[in-house]
Amino acid sequence: MTLLSLLSSPIIRNEDPVPVYKTGDDMAWAAKNYNDKDWSEKRGNTSDHIFWSRTHLDLGKVENDLKPLGLQIESFGSFEVYWDGVLIGKNGQLPKDGKPEQPGTESSYYRIPNHLISPGLHTIAMRSSQSMHPNVQRSIGFKINNYATLLTKPLVTMSYMNLMAGAFLIAAVYYFFIYLNSKRKQRDILIFATICLLFFALLIMEYLKFHVVIPYSEFFIRLEIIGWLTFINALLVPWYFIIQFNFRKEKWLMAALLVTLLLMYWLNYGHYDLTARLYSLAMLIAAFIVVLNGIIEKEKGGFIAMLALVASALVNKFVVYDYGLFISFTIIVLSMLYIHSIRASVIEAEHQDAVLLSSRLQLELLKKNIQPHFLRNTLISMMDWVEESPKEGARFIQALAAEFDIMNEISEQTLIPITKELELCRQHLSVMGFRKEINYRWEETGIDETQLIPPAIIHTLLENGITHSEPLPGNTVTFVLHYFLSKESHQYIFETIAQNREIMTGRTGGNGFKYIKARLTESYGQNWKFESSFTRTGWKSTIQILR
Amino acid sequence: MNILIIEDESRIAHRLERMTNEFFANKKTNITICDSLQKGVEEIANQLPDLLLLDLNLNGDNGFEVLEQMVAASFHTVIVSANTDKAIIAFAYGVLDFVPKPFDQERLFKALTRFVSPVLKQDEGIKYLVVKRAGQVRLVSIAEVIYIKGAGIYTELHLKNGQKELHDKSLEHLQQLLPHTFERIHRSYLVNFEQVEKIFINPGTRYSALLKTGEILPVGRSRYKELKNKII
Repeated sequence: MTLLSLLSSPIIRNEDPVPVYKTGDDMAWAAKNYNDKDWSEKRGNTSDHIFWSRTHLDLGKVENDLKPLGLQIESFGSFEVYWDGVLIGKNGQLPKDGKPEQPGTESSYYRIPNHLISPGLHTIAMRSSQSMHPNVQRSIGFKINNYATLLTKPLVTMSYMNLMAGAFLIAAVYYFFIYLNSKRKQRDILIFATICLLFFALLIMEYLKFHVVIPYSEFFIRLEIIGWLTFINALLVPWYFIIQFNFRKEKWLMAALLVTLLLMYWLNYGHYDLTARLYSLAMLIAAFIVVLNGIIEKEKGGFIAMLALVASALVNKFVVYDYGLFISFTIIVLSMLYIHSIRASVIEAEHQDAVLLSSRLQLELLKKNIQPHFLRNTLISMMDWVEESPKEGARFIQALAAEFDIMNEISEQTLIPITKELELCRQHLSVMGFRKEINYRWEETGIDETQLIPPAIIHTLLENGITHSEPLPGNTVTFVLHYFLSKESHQYIFETIAQNREIMTGRTGGNGFKYIKARLTESYGQNWKFESSFTRTGWKSTIQILR
Repeated sequence: MNILIIEDESRIAHRLERMTNEFFANKKTNITICDSLQKGVEEIANQLPDLLLLDLNLNGDNGFEVLEQMVAASFHTVIVSANTDKAIIAFAYGVLDFVPKPFDQERLFKALTRFVSPVLKQDEGIKYLVVKRAGQVRLVSIAEVIYIKGAGIYTELHLKNGQKELHDKSLEHLQQLLPHTFERIHRSYLVNFEQVEKIFINPGTRYSALLKTGEILPVGRSRYKELKNKII
């Protein structure tokens, strides 16, 4: 559409017709052939006086199907428009009889009488006042086309832009809702929703002139708003990429960007189009830095984002600003949406993994008591006890049953009272005592009975202690659990006091520690520490749960 | 007779000891118990047992890593383990028996009976003979073995590729482990019968077996008739 309008041959043949001005008021100045050689190209401060402008347009041949012709004038002020001396319309109300001027709007449309259209020179004379911005000299823009086309074409463009605006509005609302309803308040979602909303506002502001008649006196307010919307988006878009691509020097880049944007604002104050272009350039450069870094760091979606930025830069460069900004912006937002969906799927996968891990840990806990090494060795010891001393055998069976009961009770939980865990450990020791015929002793100090702990982690330490320890003289192995509460953490220290066994073969173990760490992660995320090492007196493990 | 029990659970070790003593009631047996692999290996270096009862999972040590060493030695090994899923591999490596935990007296006696009477063979297939050479263990596939010759306290495995390997086990012990295709044709020879081309009488009523490889091995007078029937 844009291209087509560029290709069709222009009706006005002289490029950039230059108006000339004269302050004063004389109806003779409307005439087509009035000699305006001594008029000035500069208007000067016209205060609340009336002034005239005259512009000569060279018309080409006009096909009949283009008629009737319309004239669009982009100019400040209030004015009456004379085409070859004939009044064809007015914009606003000139000051009259002491009544002040009623400002016209910046863009106005007039029908040119058919009998006044002929190839060759024509004169547009405007009887004007500009008391609201008396010293602003904006050139006067003229556009001639079929009258209906002139009126409807921008509306058609606007309808497409509104389509886009609607999409951004929906996206904004949707992501605001997601942000409000999600338990984890994700900054990136909020930023994305804001970007969509601001972009919606930007599109609406850009085409506001078709909804509302804006007096030329308020013309700059709209531009100022558009400028600030672009300004904020130029900050938010790189920020979004910073979060998505885990860019480390976030503060530095954002500060640099902010300073740059502010500088652009001050240095080019009043040059709205230029400022907006510079803003989007700064935004593209900042986003480019972040995305490039993301690609180097092998972040997901990096290439898509880079592709979008490049496409956006090209569009920005080669398409007329009015559309260019919006199209390039849409490309970026689409890429953000895509990256967001990738992130969402990653988060979903992480969530599934967490669920899977939980059920796997649950299974692992249940397996402790039915894995063949434990079960079969326990059963055969039991056989032996029953054969040799049925009474002891019965006690053994009861101890095992009690351990099974507790396991069963805790297996589906992620946190259990520490008292349950201690009971489990004591039952386990009782069972192992029957099997190993070692004098196992259990001690605990400082236990806070109100604390919760992931199931079977002390139990796992106990199992390790039993497996890897030789009894001290007197056939005893002692296990001690200490609890300390400090400002930073809950701390459990589990000590095995015995002689460490020498290890011959490559250990197949390590699964116990994996289980403990996975359980701690499941309940406390990153907020825990686990250490385990041998000591002079045996083995010592420390579990710290940060507060 | 020396019997070594490597078992880390005291109750089970004593159960094994008690039952073994019962089995060998009228023989003089000397039973040693070690509660770790480490101690067991030291004990073997100290004094070779006649029979080893070995648990596979000891204090987190993986008994399988020393299994190769054990089956390459002169004595027989019986695995007593809770890891029943390892039975097939254990047999493939040439253990005499695999007693799954929990076991009763009957099951252990079956294993011990297999130890004392060479005729009894297990059904599970041995796949390899493990030989030691310069401190390294090597697996020799049973299918590679043509015949085995007794050589003092050692045996010589004669292989299809023409090489010879020494094995620490006696001909009697190997015969217990090897499948029925291996026939004792002579006091000093155990032959893979599939490798025998024919059996014939030499002048002077001496018997010989001609192998597919062209080698000729002596055949014991007492075995000739039985073998002749088998080959026809």
